[in-house]
Amino acid sequence: MKTYNKIALSALGVIVFLLAWEAVARSGIVPARLLPSPSAVPAAFLTEFKSGTWQAMVLASLSHYLVGLSLGTFLGVSFGTAAALWGKWDAFQAWVVRMLRPIPAIAWIPFAIIWFGVSEGAASFLIALTVFWINYYASYAAVRGVDKDLIELGYAFGQGGLIPRLFKIILPGALPGILSGLRAGLGQGWMTVVAAELFGISGLGMRMMEASGLLATHIVVLYMVTIALLYGVSDFLFMQVQSRVLSWQR
Amino acid sequence: MAAVTLSKTAAASVIDLQDVSIGYGKDAPPVLVDVNLSVERGSFVAIVGPSGVGKSTLLRVVAGLHSARSGGVTIHQDQRPGHRPVGLVFQDSRLLPWRRVIRNVEFGLEGLPVSRDERRRRAEAALKLVRLDGYARRWPYELSGGQRQRIGIARAMAVDPDILLMDEPFGALDAITRHNLQDELRRIHQETGKTVLFVTHDLEEAVHLADRIIVLGGTPARVVRDVRNMAGRDGSVFRDQVEQLRSEIADNYSI
Repeated sequence: MKTYNKIALSALGVIVFLLAWEAVARSGIVPARLLPSPSAVPAAFLTEFKSGTWQAMVLASLSHYLVGLSLGTFLGVSFGTAAALWGKWDAFQAWVVRMLRPIPAIAWIPFAIIWFGVSEGAASFLIALTVFWINYYASYAAVRGVDKDLIELGYAFGQGGLIPRLFKIILPGALPGILSGLRAGLGQGWMTVVAAELFGISGLGMRMMEASGLLATHIVVLYMVTIALLYGVSDFLFMQVQSRVLSWQR
Repeated sequence: MAAVTLSKTAAASVIDLQDVSIGYGKDAPPVLVDVNLSVERGSFVAIVGPSGVGKSTLLRVVAGLHSARSGGVTIHQDQRPGHRPVGLVFQDSRLLPWRRVIRNVEFGLEGLPVSRDERRRRAEAALKLVRLDGYARRWPYELSGGQRQRIGIARAMAVDPDILLMDEPFGALDAITRHNLQDELRRIHQETGKTVLFVTHDLEEAVHLADRIIVLGGTPARVVRDVRNMAGRDGSVFRDQVEQLRSEIADNYSI
């Protein structure tokens, strides 16, 4: 299929989806309070934007997101790489990892509040936690998967020491895998933003919670769309960077 | 376990193997025993033998990638600065896919006391040697199999090694490319006078290239023949030599 046709079909899909939604909302089958019509969203956006609430919420969430994302990514890649490189360290931490891994970020909310209070730090902590695990496992697998022959090449040409081996062979070789972990973390991070703010930390999640308390469902939908757009933009930007960084791939 | 000894004393030979025995694992029987071999400076020595006989392992021992079980491996390293004792060429070209061609050729020079300019200059000279000087800015994936092998040779030559070690470097190439590269390698050997130790299972290739052929065979394997190759580049002599060698060593090919 030609790219042009593909884009046209995708756009058609979105339009049909919105029209069907609008039709159901207007038909009165479902009470308007339960299902807001999409045409109510632009108006909701204007009111929220004029009062400055929308911008403030986006900025607040963005700051939680960026702090949590960078911290979680950095630590996740570091710990994942270390575990993949050193068998002894891997064995030492293996069961700690197994115990901690299945606990979802929202289960940490009580501790986040006790440790950080209802604060920006608590939200960033929860986001970092989610992002950490994704990057930990992605980096671990990526480093393990580096071609052993290339490592041998390093030894054959005097680049077998830890520093050259790590920076000239292992990390560049693991980069595609590490980057796909980063990308998955980028998405999961936005999902956690909402969960982390539901208990009252200023941001998109908190505003959604407030609006749903007032049954202002069109405002809830507005913030859902906002998150979708923010995710779309961050994923798009990341893909641009990734295709540059990995230009050596076919 | 015996590692490679680097000797700074001048000698007529580049490498000396004394009673070298090689095996995998602690208790497994040895693969290769009683290897005694001196490679003269400037010579082109081929090691032939059936697959599984330990040719490549022997090469890996000389390259320092595998330890001999017993015996001595000595490389007589020249005094000139900024070079490595060995340059290794693999059967799979083993280029780093994230480095452009020129940076792949520079790889072995990094870590040597060589300035950045000098490194680039030497890598460019090595590319010229393999006639791929127009390819410096390409990515490895843009190259053909034969070109990739040439870059592998350039990378090994760039470190100006005392000995060039080649592990079935043309084994994965199609016949025409293989012949071209064999001719290129002969030219490079003549132009540079580098000592070459070349592993192959292809007897024709060995006779075509080398001035000395070491045949490994038996279980455990040992050196069964050590032939000075007298074949001129004249076709009839070449054919006779191959046939004669083939019949002489046929017994040792039954593993």
